Amino acid sequence: MSLLFEAITSEYTIHLCVLCGLYLILAQSLNLTFGLGQLFNLAHVASYAVGAYTTALLATEAESPFWVCVTASVLTSGVFALLLGAIALRLSNDYFAIGTLAFSSVVSSLLINWRSVTHGVLGIPGIPRPDLLGADLYQNSHFLALMSIFVVVTQVLFYLLYSSPFGRALRGLAEYEQAALALGRDTRLIRNFAFFFSSAGAGLAGSLFAYYLSYIDPSSFSLGEMVFILTIVIVGRPGSYWGVIAATIFLVLLPEPLRFLQIDSAYLGPARQLIHATLLFSVVWWKRRVLFPQQRQV
Amino acid sequence: MLTLQDLHVSFHGTRVLQGVTFSVTHGETVGIIGPNGCGKTTLFNCISGFVDASSGTLTFQNKDISRLPPHQRAQSGLGRVFQNFGIFREMTLLENLLIAIEAKRGAANPLFPWSKRAKKNEALALSYLNEVGLAEKARSKASSLSGGQMRLLEITRTLAVGADLFLLDEPTAGVSPKMKEDVVAIIKRLQTLGKTILIIEHDITFIQKFCSRVIVLNEGRVVLDDIPERVRADERLKDIYFGRDEERVT
Repeated sequence: MSLLFEAITSEYTIHLCVLCGLYLILAQSLNLTFGLGQLFNLAHVASYAVGAYTTALLATEAESPFWVCVTASVLTSGVFALLLGAIALRLSNDYFAIGTLAFSSVVSSLLINWRSVTHGVLGIPGIPRPDLLGADLYQNSHFLALMSIFVVVTQVLFYLLYSSPFGRALRGLAEYEQAALALGRDTRLIRNFAFFFSSAGAGLAGSLFAYYLSYIDPSSFSLGEMVFILTIVIVGRPGSYWGVIAATIFLVLLPEPLRFLQIDSAYLGPARQLIHATLLFSVVWWKRRVLFPQQRQV
Repeated sequence: MLTLQDLHVSFHGTRVLQGVTFSVTHGETVGIIGPNGCGKTTLFNCISGFVDASSGTLTFQNKDISRLPPHQRAQSGLGRVFQNFGIFREMTLLENLLIAIEAKRGAANPLFPWSKRAKKNEALALSYLNEVGLAEKARSKASSLSGGQMRLLEITRTLAVGADLFLLDEPTAGVSPKMKEDVVAIIKRLQTLGKTILIIEHDITFIQKFCSRVIVLNEGRVVLDDIPERVRADERLKDIYFGRDEERVT
């Protein structure tokens, strides 16, 4: 019994739980645009980065309190999405994906090359853990408790959004845009809202990520990270709330048994990527008609 | 109610509509017929705002709507029923109706899904479904419906969104002969509600049942605009569908 308790409260288990929480927020927020809205948004990781860097800069340079940093990250990522949406939402289907990917590359380049602000590839170290209600958040178990509150609140909010009239309108325009327009729905406005909420969610995840690691650098926000979040949504079935929750837990934990095998650490990372890539390819191939339905037009 | 003045539409240099001009008064039911490719659906797309007119004006309820985007035209009372079924197949019948009702009456607050407004909207949606005999399937996916039932749902949804002018693009296409009667019944109900209807059909005998006027389009132009009996008897209609006598001989 005590062994079980020890295993549950071990740093390793807590780390996995924090990761699950982070990816739950990231995947569920991407699910709003990619799943419900069928927008092939490849700039989600850029919103995640914007949120993380906003918190990192405010917490280290301006020594801003936790709530200010989190709120600023959420809003900055949301506004970033509105700016991106003003351009990218004019593009259709595949061009939208290319447009968001290009935007993501621009953000990635800025993180590396705007050294005076982002410190380039060296990243931003020394992000202090927040000091809330006297709790020692330098203890990972305490941080996990804080994280859990954010995860539950965001999951409930996303659940309400999914089943709300807004979610319904988003699903409708994704299925048949002209029919939604013919019912008087402003499809561009709905997509902008979806983009805002989705990006704000990524911004929150970025903020929590920065606090958790106390250090961020551009390598955490690579295209590989974007592909992993996308894999979660695809495996969980785009648009499915519970599917994405299950897929997040499954995919975050899936490569963990590899750690206990006698595998050279040089092969561990690529092995993990190989598992994810194989899974992504298999699901896309198996469910291609569901994932990429024929667009209906007048 | 609706006036089209010298409407032109071109696609990559091909002139699809060439100076279409006609008016429809409130409560009128007008049939639009013509051979395939004559521009009937393009005309509806142009009125709905899905296709931009290269020139000409479009007036609806004394307002120039030529430059309005589709959703604003819909909000002003233009209802569109699509040839290829404009329903959301992946949603339930109830959700299909709710989207329309929420567009017209306002949506319930997402943070209070059990609010009075949400309940009212759902009750209204169920009453609409009940009127066309689809209430029992309210929570089934729309993709499970037959072609005729899909058409009934789409017309009911357009009614629920508060349209005054209905653009019905071949409402009996893909509908069984038995369900065709139900579609006719709902069109007649729209007439009794005082709605204005523009209806595209191939079968002049069919639209004769409820149209007070028929417009014949050919090569993007209005060729005939008269009461159904006179249109039917007009030699030009035969020429359009079967070719001129001398062409028929050769």
